[in-house]
Amino acid sequence: MHYPWWYVDVITAPMLIAIIATIHVYVAMYAVGGGMILAYETGRAYRNLREDTLDYLRSHLKFFIWLTVVFGAITGVGIWWTISLASPLATEALIHIFVFGWAMEWVFFIIEIIAAFIFYYYWGKLDPKTHTIIGWIYGVSAWMSLVLITGITSFMLHPGNFIQDKEFWTAFFNPQTIPQIFSRTGGSILLAGLYFFLHASITVKDPEFLRRIERRIAKWAIFGAAFTLIGGILWFIYLPESSKAALEGAASLNILMGLVFAATAVVFFFFYLGSLKGKGLLSLGYAILLFIFGLIAVGSSEFIREAVRKPYIVYDYVYGHQIYKSEVAKAEQIGFLNFGAWTRPYVLKKYPQLADQNNMIDYQKVNDLSKNDKVKLGETLFMYHCNDCHAVKGLSGIQSITRGWKKEHIETTIIDMERIHYFMPPWSGNKIEAELLTSYIQSIQMPHPILDKENNSAQTKTEGGNHE
Amino acid sequence: MNEFLAPINEMGLPAPIWFLKLFKVLGFVLHLCMMNLWYAGMPLAAILSLTAEGDTRRIGERMVMYMPIIVALGINFGIVPLLFIQTLHYSLYYPTGILIAWPWLSVIVLLMFAYYGVYIYTTQVKNNNITKIGKISVWISAVFFILIGFLFANNFSLLVNKDEWLRIYEQTNVAGAVTGFALNLQDASLLPRWLFMIGLSVMTTAVYLIIDSVFFAKNETDNYRNTVRKFSLKLYLVGLIWAGTTSAWYIFGTFSRDLLDAIKTDPIVHGLFVITGLSAIVPLVIMIIKKQNFTKATAWLLGGFQFLVLTFNVLSRQWVQDFSIAKIVDLNRELVVTQWSSMIPFLLTFVIGAAVIFWMLKKIVGLKSMS
Repeated sequence: MHYPWWYVDVITAPMLIAIIATIHVYVAMYAVGGGMILAYETGRAYRNLREDTLDYLRSHLKFFIWLTVVFGAITGVGIWWTISLASPLATEALIHIFVFGWAMEWVFFIIEIIAAFIFYYYWGKLDPKTHTIIGWIYGVSAWMSLVLITGITSFMLHPGNFIQDKEFWTAFFNPQTIPQIFSRTGGSILLAGLYFFLHASITVKDPEFLRRIERRIAKWAIFGAAFTLIGGILWFIYLPESSKAALEGAASLNILMGLVFAATAVVFFFFYLGSLKGKGLLSLGYAILLFIFGLIAVGSSEFIREAVRKPYIVYDYVYGHQIYKSEVAKAEQIGFLNFGAWTRPYVLKKYPQLADQNNMIDYQKVNDLSKNDKVKLGETLFMYHCNDCHAVKGLSGIQSITRGWKKEHIETTIIDMERIHYFMPPWSGNKIEAELLTSYIQSIQMPHPILDKENNSAQTKTEGGNHE
Repeated sequence: MNEFLAPINEMGLPAPIWFLKLFKVLGFVLHLCMMNLWYAGMPLAAILSLTAEGDTRRIGERMVMYMPIIVALGINFGIVPLLFIQTLHYSLYYPTGILIAWPWLSVIVLLMFAYYGVYIYTTQVKNNNITKIGKISVWISAVFFILIGFLFANNFSLLVNKDEWLRIYEQTNVAGAVTGFALNLQDASLLPRWLFMIGLSVMTTAVYLIIDSVFFAKNETDNYRNTVRKFSLKLYLVGLIWAGTTSAWYIFGTFSRDLLDAIKTDPIVHGLFVITGLSAIVPLVIMIIKKQNFTKATAWLLGGFQFLVLTFNVLSRQWVQDFSIAKIVDLNRELVVTQWSSMIPFLLTFVIGAAVIFWMLKKIVGLKSMS
């Protein structure tokens, strides 16, 4: 409401955030877990004088830098770009609360980059001790950037006591921070293990050496899986009530939760029984299969993380329709369109006859508009109040959702939406605006697939009978 | 009620305005040092890969030697000014981005291709095996970096041009929501701003080539170093003329009357603009005087002066931005609620981080001097 709304057809603008964030996480988690594994294993290989391991780690590091420093870093910037376009109010709020958190993360990014390049380009040139330390500087910096960003993203799910005291550290160390640090750290190591499997299965030709890598990496991955499990349980325990309800109530989230646990369990058992205790299974096909399971687990958990926040973007603070919780009463009182910094001038420019003496929209005059104009105003309301989650046709398409709904049904749902669906925000406009939105939805809704068909055929029969 | 402007954020600014501007300027100077090198350096490498032979061609190849690191650092330094501009000017920054959302978002895709192009070409140069893919890559990088610059110029000229916001909004909205399929093409300052940055980048690239030849090109011949000196001098001159012409166009062709008057009447601002303009001549003078003999000390001096040229440019731009923004929104309306509890840890992290980086660099510099 403070900003113009970016209309993206079919998938809606916020879905772009989810897409880019998921792609980014696939690589960013590897950047953290991979960094720790590389630093530790390099030091170990130096201590044990394992030249073959060092050669392998160097070749892996090249692949690691190509992927994380370029793709990982740029998609990270991409998230920042997208949230400022598709969720500007929440971004504004987060920036004002966490600007120095992000600034600290930036310092760790710079250290990460310099350490990564020195670790790679000075391989074999630095003495082993210094080289290993630089590897660890990379690993620790990468993990610190994970900690910092987790403090911010977990705040979006559970602000703790921030709403009362407005303190940075209260926001940062919210009830979800530690659980998510656990699960993300574990997930990073687990996912890095899958990348190592993939890389080793392609590049290592010696079966004995491949087996050695498989056992080492499997240990890491199992360790990561244990961390993920602990973090996941704590995450569920410390979820806000409405998020737990959303998780229990939404079938799609149930399925995704099932997928996360099933995929993680599959990966864990293959790592444990096949790669660590068994005779070894590592081949390209095996690595790809586990990698796909890993992507399913991480992708699904990211989706759940986003979905359970509804109706908020920042829990208890910023609603999904880009309005602070504290602003809803005012928006209801003066009207949603009047409240918007862009909607009010837009409406008054298009319909100057609606202006009162204070240059505000006079809702009493709306009745004088034509039916078509009312529908158009309803469309504006749809854009700013609904399009965050609902496309017209496509993602949660309002056309399909409201198939066959009667006018009263639509209007009641609008006015009481947070009571009817607890993952929806409260209606933030007045009664007249609810009618306008209803008229727009009626203008685009599709017929009921069963009842309207039966009605139509009954009507046709009657008409046919009359003709006879 | 301010039309089309977001209300004040009730959390308030987390630091005094001067503090946020200081880091914004610092970050932008650092970003500019790196960004200038890929902005002009990649097109230069692309052109030389096609047109030049021998040592001149080698200049283009050496230009990209450290480009992966330069791009990585440049992108990260760029985070700081963007972070603080969002903090200070959220009511302008978000709407302008949204109005040109798709082209603005395309920066990410373009950057991805440009950066991978850099890696491919650099690897091939290092392996002394430049294939057709390498040649295509360097051109993709060069063109995409220039395009990204165009998109940045688009957004940041739009940031201070509210009339243009409204025109774009009028033309591209669907029921009051924005499609994001627009560019700020009718802004008179767009072209000179964009072209000026190319000129400035050419100058910085010329200085970089000298620094590279003095500090890093130990395996190259004396003949190569001579070629670099002559080439860089010409390149700097071209950049200076280009930047001079486009900045004159930008200032005298697009600045409003009151902006020009403000520059003329305030002696400090007037002085800043004069110094900004004149400072660009100093590296040229050093290049002419030291044409035959560039020692490490003179290379440091040259680099230092170019750093000052960029700093003065950033300060002048900051002043112009402040002046233009003040016409749209009063920054003094903002609450300032300094977040000491997070600012102090940030400053500590910054200092410790700088020390860690210094330690790492010392290790590799020590290694080089030992060898």
